Amino acid sequence: MKKFLALALSVCLTAAVVIGCGSTPAPAPSQAASAASTPAAASAAGLQPADGPVELSLSWWGGDARHEATQKAVDAFTTKYPNITVKTNYGAWTGWEDTMSTALYAGTAQDVDQVNWNWIFNYDNDGKTFVDLNTLSDYIDLTQFNEAALAQCTVNGRLTAIPVAMTGRIFYWNQTTFDEAGIATPTTFDELLAAGETFKTKLGEEYYPLAMNQLDRMIFMVWALECEYGKDWVVDGKLNYSQAEIEDGLALISQLEEAHVIPTMEKVLGDGAESFDKNPKWMEGKYAGIFEWDSSATKMQAALNEGQEFVVGEFLTGFGDYKGGFTKVSLGFSIAESAEYPVESAMLINFLLNEEEGVKLMASERGIPLSKVALQICTDNDLLNPIVAEANGKVLAWCEYNLDPTFEDAKLKSTDGVYYDVMDGLSYGDYDLAEAASILIEGIEATLAAA
Amino acid sequence: MTPSAPKGALKKRSGLSRFFRNNMGLVYILPWLIGFLIFKLYPFASSLVYSFSNFHLFKGITEWGVMNYVEAFTSKKITTALLTTIKYSIFTVPLKLVAALFIAYILNFKIKGVNFFRTAYYIPSILGGSVAIAVLWKALFRDEGLINGLLAMFGVQGPSWLSNPDYALFIICILRIWQFGSAMVIFLAALKGVPTELYEAATIDGAGKWRQFRSITLPMITPVVFYNLITQLVQAFQEFNGPYIITQGGPRNSTTLISLLVYNFGFKQNEFGMASALSWIMFIIVMVFTILAFVSQKYWVYYGDEEGK
Repeated sequence: MKKFLALALSVCLTAAVVIGCGSTPAPAPSQAASAASTPAAASAAGLQPADGPVELSLSWWGGDARHEATQKAVDAFTTKYPNITVKTNYGAWTGWEDTMSTALYAGTAQDVDQVNWNWIFNYDNDGKTFVDLNTLSDYIDLTQFNEAALAQCTVNGRLTAIPVAMTGRIFYWNQTTFDEAGIATPTTFDELLAAGETFKTKLGEEYYPLAMNQLDRMIFMVWALECEYGKDWVVDGKLNYSQAEIEDGLALISQLEEAHVIPTMEKVLGDGAESFDKNPKWMEGKYAGIFEWDSSATKMQAALNEGQEFVVGEFLTGFGDYKGGFTKVSLGFSIAESAEYPVESAMLINFLLNEEEGVKLMASERGIPLSKVALQICTDNDLLNPIVAEANGKVLAWCEYNLDPTFEDAKLKSTDGVYYDVMDGLSYGDYDLAEAASILIEGIEATLAAA
Repeated sequence: MTPSAPKGALKKRSGLSRFFRNNMGLVYILPWLIGFLIFKLYPFASSLVYSFSNFHLFKGITEWGVMNYVEAFTSKKITTALLTTIKYSIFTVPLKLVAALFIAYILNFKIKGVNFFRTAYYIPSILGGSVAIAVLWKALFRDEGLINGLLAMFGVQGPSWLSNPDYALFIICILRIWQFGSAMVIFLAALKGVPTELYEAATIDGAGKWRQFRSITLPMITPVVFYNLITQLVQAFQEFNGPYIITQGGPRNSTTLISLLVYNFGFKQNEFGMASALSWIMFIIVMVFTILAFVSQKYWVYYGDEEGK
C-alpha cells in the first residue's frame, strides 16, 4: 500500500511538473472576444474622448534607437494631454510575436499595438481582435495615407491597422571589403558570381560577397523567380509556380553556394549568431553583402566595425526580363478590441504618425513614413536617414509584385518551418532539388489551404 | 450576567469549530489545494480534452478526434524529436548522477576550503538553466569560439559544434550535465548519513576505499540515488532553455526536443490541440520511465527500515 501511495504520488508530481509545459487553458475565442468588444463598441458609438483621467498602454518591438524615439514621442503626447498616461511595453523582435499572439487571444494585449502586417490576417480574420479604425476616422487622419496602403491593412472591409511604412528587400554591400578585393560592388548576376571567386582567391576562404540565412534565401529565390518569370508568387490563394520553376530557383541558391558567393548554412549556423547584425563576420567585413529589408539599413550599418563603409546596392540584373521583388507594409499600429479607451488610443496613433511633434521624434525609426504629412515634415526638417531613404526609394521604384500574407505564416517561416527545412536540407545535402521543391510546394499548399 | 447566545448558534459554532479541529490539516493545505486545482489540475484535464481537437487560438475548434496522436506518430519531425528527447535523457541522466556522486564523494572528505568548493560546484545548477549561460555556451562553442581557439593552440582543428548535426546534441547534453550541483548537494547529505561505524568495521576487516564505496556507501545511499534518478529524469524530459537558445532545435532538427515542439506548436503556430497532444505523449513517456524505475527499485534500492529489502 505504502509503495502504491508512493507511486501514485510520484505520478501526480510528475504530472504536475509536466503539465507546466502543456497548453494554457483558455476560453473559446468567441467568449473572450465578445467580452472584450463591449467597451470598444460603446465608445465607438459615442466617439467622444473621456472626461477624467485615462490610462493607455502601448507595445512595440525594435532596437534601442526605436525604443528611445518612441518613448520620447509618448512623453510628448502625455505632456500635450495631461489627463492621459501611457504605459509602454517594448522589447526585441525575438519571441515578441509568441507573447503578443497569446496576449491578443487572452484580451490582455496593450491598447495600442505595433503589429506585423501578417498579424492582421492571422489574428483578426474574424474581426474580433482589433478595432475597425474606420470608426475612429475623426481621431486618426486617414486621408494622409494612400488608398493602396490602407487596402493592404483592410480585412473583410475592416481597417485593422494604420500602415506606418512600406518595405522590401534590397542588397547592401560593405564597400570597404569590395575595395580590398579590388572589385566594384555587383550590379549583375554575372558580376556577383565572379565576386565569389575573387573573394576566395584574393581575401581568403572566410570572405564571401553575400551572406543569407534560410529566410533570406527564400525571399531571394522568390525575387529571382519573379525576375525570370514575371508573375506573383501566389495568386488567388494558389501557388503560381510549378515544380520545375521552383527547382530552377533552388538550383540558383545551390549555384551561389558552389561559386563561393554565399556561405553554406553549416557555416552560417556555426557562427553562432542570432542574426547577421550580431555576427562578427558581418561586423568585420568577412561577409560583405546582405539582402535585407530597407527599414533595417541603420541596424545593419551600425553593426559594422569602425572604418567599414556601408552602401545601398542596386537591384541585380541578369536574372530575367522583369523587375522582381515585393513590397509590403512593414508594420502598423492597431487598437486591441479590449482597449478601454479606443478614442484616446486613436489620438495616440495620430500623434505618433501625423502630428508634427510626434512625427519629428519618431522620424524614420520605423522606415520612411507613409503618412504624407509626416513625410513632408521629415523631409523639410532633414530627419530622414539618407541610407534608409535611398534604400526605400530604390525598393519602391523597382519591386512590382505583391506579397501574399501567408508567405510569412509561422508554419513556413519559423525555425521549424518549411523554409528552414528546405533551405537547410538543400545546403546540408539532405535533399536534392526535386525533393526540396516538392517539400516546399507541399508545405506552401498546405498553408494556403488552411488560411 | 452576560447575555447567553441562542442555543442553535452555540450548536452551530461548536459544530464549525469541531469541523476545523478535525480537519485542521486540510485547512492548512487549502491554499495550496486551491492553487493546485486551478493552476495544475484544471489545465492538466483541459489539455487532455484539447489534445483530441484541432484547437487553434484564433480559429477555435473545428474537428475532434485522434488526429493529433496519429500525426505525432507518423510525422517524421515529431518522431525524430521524441527519439532525440529519449536519447538526450538516457545520455544526460546517468552521466549527471555519476558526476554529482563523484564530486559529492570527494567533497565529503575533510579537505581545506571544502565549503568554497561545495559552493563553486553548486553555482552551475543555479545559473545553468539561465538564458545568460545558454548564450555564453553558444559563444564558447561557435566556430571561432573559445573552445575551438583552445584546440587550435594544440594544433587541433575544432569541429563546427553548433552546426554539425553529429555534435550539436552533445553540446546541449554537456550543458545539462554541468548543472549537477543540486543532485550533488543531495548526495552529500546522504553520504553524511552513512554510519561511520560501518566504515570502521570495514577498515578493520581490511576493506579498501573502493570496496567500502561499493559495499557500504553505494547500498546505503540507494534511496537517494533513486530519488535523484526520478527528479533528473523528469527534468531531462522537460529541458527547453538549452536547445531553444543555443540551437533553436537545429541543425537539421538534431536538437529538437519534444518540449521545443510543444512550444513551437503552441506559441508560434497557435495550435494548442497539437501542443496538448505532444504534452500528453511526453507525460506518458515520463510516467512509463518512472514506473519502470519504481518497479526496478526492489532489485537495487536498500531501505534500512524494511529489513534489508
